[in-house]
Amino acid sequence: MRILVSIDDTDDLESRGTGELASLIAADIETNGWGKSSFVTRHQLLVHPDIPYTSHNSAMCFAAEICADALDEVIAHASSFLARESAAGSDPGLCVAAVDGLAAPDEIMAFGRRAKESVITKEEAYAAARRLGVHLSEHGGTGQGVIGALAGAGLRLGGNDGRLKGAIPLGHPGGVISVADLSRREDVDAVRTLDGLPLDGNEMVRVGEKVKTVMLEGKAVLLVSAAAAADGPAWQTCPRQQLKRY
Amino acid sequence: MEQMEAGLPEFPSGTEDWLTAARVAALCAEFRPDVEEEQVADEAGSCYNCRYRRWSVDSITCCKRQRPG
Repeated sequence: MRILVSIDDTDDLESRGTGELASLIAADIETNGWGKSSFVTRHQLLVHPDIPYTSHNSAMCFAAEICADALDEVIAHASSFLARESAAGSDPGLCVAAVDGLAAPDEIMAFGRRAKESVITKEEAYAAARRLGVHLSEHGGTGQGVIGALAGAGLRLGGNDGRLKGAIPLGHPGGVISVADLSRREDVDAVRTLDGLPLDGNEMVRVGEKVKTVMLEGKAVLLVSAAAAADGPAWQTCPRQQLKRY
Repeated sequence: MEQMEAGLPEFPSGTEDWLTAARVAALCAEFRPDVEEEQVADEAGSCYNCRYRRWSVDSITCCKRQRPG
């Protein structure tokens, strides 16, 4: 069965990031033989004076294919992990959603979109989770992280939000690689322009610093922009500043 | 910029003044890079990439002044 595991509000200014904790839970799923985990995505939620957050208000989510009878173990493990590993004073929340069993996929996706635009209460999040049939739990502090955790699952399910955790190792900046070679990589599902257009495999791309992918149409997409230099390849990987809005 | 350089917490240039954010960070003894997934500036040393910045609606705030000690 396919599940989404989403966490939020686990860190403080000095602790490990929420993304690292998500990666560790993802790795534990594989180590324990429960299934295979996918990449972690970061989802930006609303920044607003009425919302408590450490520094950026983002949720982290990953998908996993697990044995159906391992679901309870995964939830128990992630719960105890967050209770143990989250920073003191943080407000961690956990959402585990079995995708095939979702009562209303549109509703969890709408919840995610709403969390990027509106202030949402914990009570609303728990009520939505009950309607949707997803696991939602808090593991310390105020438990405020349940809102972002549920939102992160909805945004990941929608497939058109967020940046993937980690950089794509493409060698030294300044190198040149074809779109075909980029597309053959396991960590790149597609190469698109910033306007969303696909490129022919023979198009060439100059590699920049810290190359990252974003999630579009459920895929890990490497975005490129028109190259600044008149000579050389027509395209370049997008600098991080251009990916900030994802 | 002057406010931040003088030690006051708010960065007055908004969320996308990349050059100023890099220049201020280069002069800041407290700068520490945030985790990779939370970095948005191309310059590694940038207030926008610092683990002690806190995003607000219009800018960032420096949390160094809120730390004990």
